[in-house]
Amino acid sequence: MSDMDLHYRVTIFLNMEADMLDRWALDEWLSLFADDAHYYVPPTDMDGDKADPTRDLFYIMDDRARLRERVVRLNDKNCHSEQPRSKTRHLVSNIIAKRSGEDVDARASFVVYRHKDGAADAFVGHYVYTLEDCGDTFRIKSKKCVLDMEALRPHGRISILL
Amino acid sequence: MTAPIRVQADFKAGIFRTPRRAFTDPNVLEKEYETIFSKCWLYLAHASELPNPGDFLSRTVARRPILFTRDKNDQFHALLNTCPHRGATVCRERHGNSSTFQCLYHGWNFRNDGQLRGVPGADRYPSNFRDDPGKSLQKVPRLDRFGDFFFINFSADGEDLATYLAGAGDYLKLVSEHSESGMRIVGGTQEYAIRGNWKLLAENSFDGYHAATTHSTYLNYLKNANGALHNTRLEGTCHDLGNGHAVIEYTAPWGRPIASWIPLWGEEGKQEIDRIYGRLVDRLGRDRADRLARYNRNMVIFPNLVINDIMAITVRTFYPTAPDYQNINAWTLAPVTESEWLQKFRLFNFLEFLGPGGFATPDDVEAIEKCQAGFANAQEAQYNDISKGMLNEGAQSFDDEAQMRAYWIEWDRRIATVESTL
Repeated sequence: MSDMDLHYRVTIFLNMEADMLDRWALDEWLSLFADDAHYYVPPTDMDGDKADPTRDLFYIMDDRARLRERVVRLNDKNCHSEQPRSKTRHLVSNIIAKRSGEDVDARASFVVYRHKDGAADAFVGHYVYTLEDCGDTFRIKSKKCVLDMEALRPHGRISILL
Repeated sequence: MTAPIRVQADFKAGIFRTPRRAFTDPNVLEKEYETIFSKCWLYLAHASELPNPGDFLSRTVARRPILFTRDKNDQFHALLNTCPHRGATVCRERHGNSSTFQCLYHGWNFRNDGQLRGVPGADRYPSNFRDDPGKSLQKVPRLDRFGDFFFINFSADGEDLATYLAGAGDYLKLVSEHSESGMRIVGGTQEYAIRGNWKLLAENSFDGYHAATTHSTYLNYLKNANGALHNTRLEGTCHDLGNGHAVIEYTAPWGRPIASWIPLWGEEGKQEIDRIYGRLVDRLGRDRADRLARYNRNMVIFPNLVINDIMAITVRTFYPTAPDYQNINAWTLAPVTESEWLQKFRLFNFLEFLGPGGFATPDDVEAIEKCQAGFANAQEAQYNDISKGMLNEGAQSFDDEAQMRAYWIEWDRRIATVESTL
């Protein structure tokens, strides 16, 4: 398969993922993840590409079980920080995808807007994905959201999924 | 004429009310900077953040840019990060190692103890210009340490640090006793903000009353996650530690890396936790070891240092930039040496509850921001009620509000010194 095909398929996949998140179709979103998947948001005061979740304090380090619980929580009406739900808009661009053995390594830039209670907060950064190629689609083995912001200010929370 | 912005307390009648304008009035904020943040001992950093001679970090404390350094003789210095010449910050890095700092503007150059080394065009100054203290970096009036915790004070006068800490000192000691190897701040700072008054976070940080409602989804998560709970009741007491500091100390059903095992951690974890507990008993005796292993502690050191030794240890400090806005920095404290397994589970455990991406803190942020929103009614709905447990005999429970009353009494005492201008 050509690079162009791979790039096209990864682009479609990431756009579809963003759409699920913006529709709050969280169970559908969770089904994109492999059983041994991880979801990370590294700290903002060190190089997020180099930070190590087993040594450094992250904002989020979820294995698949905790990611499921995160979705369960977000679907619960007592998840106060997202009730009523905020509106989000995940913009994904500058996608680079390349094969790495059986898997696909992908990078992309993102801006995620969260609007709620009169506040509009933007999360800006890049995604680092490891994708398992299943032929017709992909499965996410790892998703890391590296933030460009110097701190989570004024946001105060990452109560949405990036 | 509006009522003065003061606490109303009547211990016989069980009345304790705090004025909501204390959370909204810009004049109160300025008075807090004058009477609290410029007079109290404020947390600066932990010794482990400057492990080597020449290490430095820059940090904002009470709106001031501060440069904290360790010189070649292992002396620590808290310097005002501003060039004595024309004011620019002389250090623009967050941390690093350097024996000198050079101002980017006109090139004045300083040793890491603050002493001026040289300036370009020195021949246009008197020959002894280096001896002029006004030409060196100015020090924060007072710097002191309690164990590995460094504090600064912007007032040259007043009680020393140990006296100020009062009963909180033993709790700082306790949190330093987790490991014979000492404690260190782990890499990675959680830096966030809340659109709410800073005192709301002080209250929230040792509020044992709100968990069941605010954090019901977290408690559900613990129940869902196979083996994340052990059979321990959530119960305990509250202690007034003097000078506005207080702590709640309680048992809880969640795991603690020091040293309370949960089935989720498996056999490898059990052996590790048993070893840690055994070493604690050998080193500290059974009573203190049990206190460390079994009891959670949420402590607030007045005005704004939180040390919560719960499912992991968080060290947190926060400053207002406006009545309805605060910046928070949070770190985690861990043993200097521990197994890879424990290090990983400690961080995993921290993030389950704590921080802007955890399963609980975002809901605290929401509660604080919604309190702030409600305070827009402060002209009519003037007071918060902080009376829980007040008329009960005996020890105050961890989910009463005695710890907040201790905090507010100190706030009120300090603010009262300028009451006439409010």
